[in-house]
Amino acid sequence: MSEQPVGRGPIHITLQTGPRLTRPVPPEVVEALLSAQITATAGERSGFQLAFDLTKTGALSRRLLPEGFFDPKTRVILSVSVKGTAEVLLDGLIVRQEVGASNQPGHSTLTVTGEDLSVLMDLEERTDRFPNLRPSQRVARILAKYADYGIEPRVFQEKIEQPPREQLRVEYQTATDLAYVTDLARANGYIFFLEPGPRPGRSTAVWGPEIRIGQRQHALNVNMDANSTVDQLTFAYDGTAREEPQARVQNPATRDTLLLPQPDIGPLRPPLGRRATPALRRRTLSGTAKKESEQAQAELLARAALSADAISGSGSLDVNRHGYILRPRELVGVRGAGVTYDGDYYVKSVTHNIRPGSYQQNFTLSREGLIARSGTVRP
Amino acid sequence: MAEIEPYESAMDAIPGAHPYPRSSRYHDAEIGVHRTADGTEVRYAKRRLLPPLGEEQTEDGESATHTVNAGERPDLLAQHYFGDPAQWWQIADANPVLDPHELTEEAGRDIRIPHAGGFPASGGRHV
Repeated sequence: MSEQPVGRGPIHITLQTGPRLTRPVPPEVVEALLSAQITATAGERSGFQLAFDLTKTGALSRRLLPEGFFDPKTRVILSVSVKGTAEVLLDGLIVRQEVGASNQPGHSTLTVTGEDLSVLMDLEERTDRFPNLRPSQRVARILAKYADYGIEPRVFQEKIEQPPREQLRVEYQTATDLAYVTDLARANGYIFFLEPGPRPGRSTAVWGPEIRIGQRQHALNVNMDANSTVDQLTFAYDGTAREEPQARVQNPATRDTLLLPQPDIGPLRPPLGRRATPALRRRTLSGTAKKESEQAQAELLARAALSADAISGSGSLDVNRHGYILRPRELVGVRGAGVTYDGDYYVKSVTHNIRPGSYQQNFTLSREGLIARSGTVRP
Repeated sequence: MAEIEPYESAMDAIPGAHPYPRSSRYHDAEIGVHRTADGTEVRYAKRRLLPPLGEEQTEDGESATHTVNAGERPDLLAQHYFGDPAQWWQIADANPVLDPHELTEEAGRDIRIPHAGGFPASGGRHV
C-alpha cells in the first residue's frame, strides 16, 4: 500500500483548481504533488498548504506557474476517497506561493498556502447598519452575499433571544464580514465555520452551537496492542481554564445594578464527562452594564460555555490503519486511555497530512469533565 | 436567503445519524416519512436514481475500462479498484445492470469502472 503513487493507491486524491468554477488539474500537477496539509478547526478558519516538485524542465515551471495557474485567489478543491467513499477536505483560495530553488536536482519545490473560502469575507472592511435585526438575521443577511462561490448558509437562532429595539439601539458593523460574524458567534457561545462538501464546489457556512450530541465517530483506540488505531495520544487537564464570569446590568430607569445569576451551560454544552471541572477563576465581564439584559445574559452564557473545556487531548493517527477519516467538529470515543480519560470527546481540530504513500491525521480533542459518562463507546 | 433554523433543531436533530453510512449507496437517498391511516409514522428511503450515464466518459475519460476474465466477481473488482469489496455497487451503477452477476457472467465483456476518487450522483446535503 505504501509504494503506490498518489491517485493509484487505495486513497485517491482529486484536485481541482480554477478562478471561480473549478476543473480537474492536468496530470502533471498531480504527479508533481509532494504533500498536502489541511487544517480544519472548530470556530476558526481552515488553512491548507500544498507542496509541488518544481523540476527545471517540468510543465509546472515552464508553463503553469508563469501562466498564473497558482496565482493568489485561485480556487482549490481537494477531495480524497478512502476505500471508494469520497469526501471533500478543502475548498479554498490560494493566498501565497513560495518557490524554493535548490542547487540539488529534484529539491526545488513550490509551496502554495491558502485558506478556506471564508477569506473572501475577510478581504473588505464594511460599515453597515442593521436596524431591527436579531444576530442570526444579521448573519443570514451577510452570508447571503457569498452564494456565488457555492456557499450555502446554515444559521441557527441564538440560544438567548435578543429582540431588537430600534428605538434603543441600532447595531453597526465596522469590521470585515468575517470578523463581524465571528464576533457575533462568540457573543452567543456559537462557532462559525465553513464546511466543504458534500459535493466539490459546494460548502456550508454554519453559524450555530458546537453540536455535542448525536452519533459518535469510530472510536480511537490507544494502548491496545494490535487493535490500536492511534499512534499516540496526550491528555492535558488545565485547572485554570474554566472560569466563572460575572456580569452586571444596569436598569436605565432606576440606575440600579443587578448581578446576573450564573447560567446553566448544559443546553449549549451537553456534558461529556461525569465529573465536571470546577471553575477556579472568577472574572467580571466589562461593558455589560451598557448592554441590554438579554445581550449581557448571552455573553455571560457564552463566556461560561467557551471556557468550560478544561481537558484537551492531542494525538495522531494513520488513516490506513484507522480505516476512516476523522472529521473535525464531531464527537468521537476514546478507548484504552484509562478510566479517567476514556469516553467521548469533541474533535476540536484535525490536520490532514497527505503525501504519496501515507495519510496521517493530527487531531485535538476536548471536553469539560473527567470520567466517561457511559460504559461503552461506539467501536 | 435560507431560513434561520431554530436553536432546538441543532440539538434535537441527531447529526450524522443517517441510517446508512457514508460508504453506502443509499447514503444520499432522501429519507421520507409515510403516515399510515392510524397515525403511525413509517420512515423509508426514497427511490434512488442512478447517476446520468455516459457523464464520466465525457469528463476527461476518467473512467477506466475493464475486460472481464473468467472467475471474476463484482466484489473482487471492487477490492481491486477501490480497496473495498463492498463498493461493487459503484461498478454496477456505471454499467446499468439489474443483477450484479450479469457484470461478470460472460468473460470478455468490457465493463466501465468509475473513477475511484469521484463522487456518486449529486444528492442532497448529508448531515
